[in-house]
Amino acid sequence: MAESPATTERTGGVPRWLRPILVLGFLYLFLVGVKGLETGIKVFGVDAAERIFGYVSSPVAGLFAGILATVLVQSSSVTTSTIVGLVGSGSLSVAAAVPMIMGANIGTTVTNTLASLGHVRRGAEFKRAFAGATVHDFFNVFAVVVFLPLELATGFLSKSATVVSSLLAGSGSVAAAPGKSPIKAAIKAPVALIEGSLTDLGLHRGWVGSLILALALVSIFVALVFVTRNMRVLMAGRMEAGFNAVLGRGAGLGAMILGVVVTVAVQSSSITTSILVPLLGAGVITLENAYPVTLGANLGTTVTALLASLAADRPEALTIALTHTLFNVFGILAFYPVPLVRRLPLRAARALAEVATRRKRVVLAYLVAVFVVLPLVGIVVFR
Amino acid sequence: MVFDLFSGKGESQIERIEQQIQEMLAACGRTIDIATDALFGRVAPSEVGETLRKSDRAVNRLEREIRRELVVHAGVRGASADIPAILVYMSIVKDIERLGDYAKNLWDVANAGADITGLSEFDRIQRDVAWVRELVDRTAKIFAERDAAAAQEALNEADAKLDEFDAMVIEQLTSDRPSREGVPIALVARYLKRISAHLMNVMTAVVMPLDRLDYWDEDKADRW
Repeated sequence: MAESPATTERTGGVPRWLRPILVLGFLYLFLVGVKGLETGIKVFGVDAAERIFGYVSSPVAGLFAGILATVLVQSSSVTTSTIVGLVGSGSLSVAAAVPMIMGANIGTTVTNTLASLGHVRRGAEFKRAFAGATVHDFFNVFAVVVFLPLELATGFLSKSATVVSSLLAGSGSVAAAPGKSPIKAAIKAPVALIEGSLTDLGLHRGWVGSLILALALVSIFVALVFVTRNMRVLMAGRMEAGFNAVLGRGAGLGAMILGVVVTVAVQSSSITTSILVPLLGAGVITLENAYPVTLGANLGTTVTALLASLAADRPEALTIALTHTLFNVFGILAFYPVPLVRRLPLRAARALAEVATRRKRVVLAYLVAVFVVLPLVGIVVFR
Repeated sequence: MVFDLFSGKGESQIERIEQQIQEMLAACGRTIDIATDALFGRVAPSEVGETLRKSDRAVNRLEREIRRELVVHAGVRGASADIPAILVYMSIVKDIERLGDYAKNLWDVANAGADITGLSEFDRIQRDVAWVRELVDRTAKIFAERDAAAAQEALNEADAKLDEFDAMVIEQLTSDRPSREGVPIALVARYLKRISAHLMNVMTAVVMPLDRLDYWDEDKADRW
């Protein structure tokens, strides 16, 4: 330790000044990807896409499809952005997309639950880490149990989102001015170029559509991975300062804002919630203090879908993105302010952690059942 | 707090930890001053007891804060966390925290009614305390500047001093003087030795590889 550790900060070989430029570049790629989805579906044929999504036309099947898709790509941002792109293309209705968005919320919780397995050999540590990870699961499951039936019965989430969406349209936002926005023009150009090039090759339209779709999905995935990676490096010091401040002051609105801000910055709720896991395991943050950070992360991650809606022409894309945001806002309002209700996800997570610590097989059974078997069976049974 | 995320603050939390270590050492220096003022009869032990405990609690609080921040550093940075630095800080904050405990032990000697002011060793003990007190400040400076040459020099000097403290303890063990004279001298010498040894542990972080931290104050035959 001959030199000050402050001088040994690692930046992964990429100069710090280059990272913000890379982030902007990857955000552009992300929007191009979402636009590519929309274009790919149109080229592929909306009818064909509707047939595919017809398999998950039931809300319950949609919910499970959202869970499974998110578990497979390990990112709700990828799933929700894809859903926004599909809604933007007109191949998926807002009503069918709402349960999928809710499913994505549940599916994303698998990442920090997997992160908690790193503590599995140390009983007390694992109990804290696993409870901290699964409180995210329980919150999302409880929110879906309450709000999915309500949405199906009244459509209050999507209706509220439509109102907000039309208000934004009235204010002259990007989403309100299809074709006129410079952002949209900039993201349309490369997609049109790729479409033109593939068509010029004389490929069948189905192939052109499929290739554009595949490229779009890869672009969204790669862009989000690298936005997250670069932003994590750029924000690391500030994230540390934020977490230290919250740890020093306890739970509450500050912790929730931290969760929102960090997640918006790194474009991944999994990063935020997975950072909490070792802190919980080490016992430097309590479950009660970590919970609002997790809720903030849940809310913060909805910004990715809102960003994705910038690339779509149809206002429904913004509506479904806003539905995602409102679902999480209402979830927080339902499960945080009242102490008695706030304790429900905490108690459920603690109870599961208690059992999981005593019987490690429960951990595996829980992960496989909730995130793989149940969604698969659900899709097959309810489609 | 949360809004530090948007400001330039918090760019390097390791720098903040460095500052906190300096604060810990400064607080330990103050705790030693308070304890030795009581030991040298400058103030009544009961008068400064609460101030001393407050100062020690501040040291303990800083130790916990630093540990927590190191866990956050590791959690946020993941694979890019500076693991050797984390391990070094974890090790040395424990050493610094112990300084406060031994300062309290010095105060305990005074508070138990021991009066060393009239003993033949009093002048020597005053000089030794002044040396130890200076070593606290030297350690803070050496650690802040990562001054390997100064660390080596201070370690060699302190190494010799440890032998002197040991000799003082053994002298009391083998002397025929009354216990009310011999015991306080032996205890004070022992506590000064432990304070010096913990300061040496801090300084080894500047000159020694991570796996050899803390080995300087071992018996020479057991060191490496």
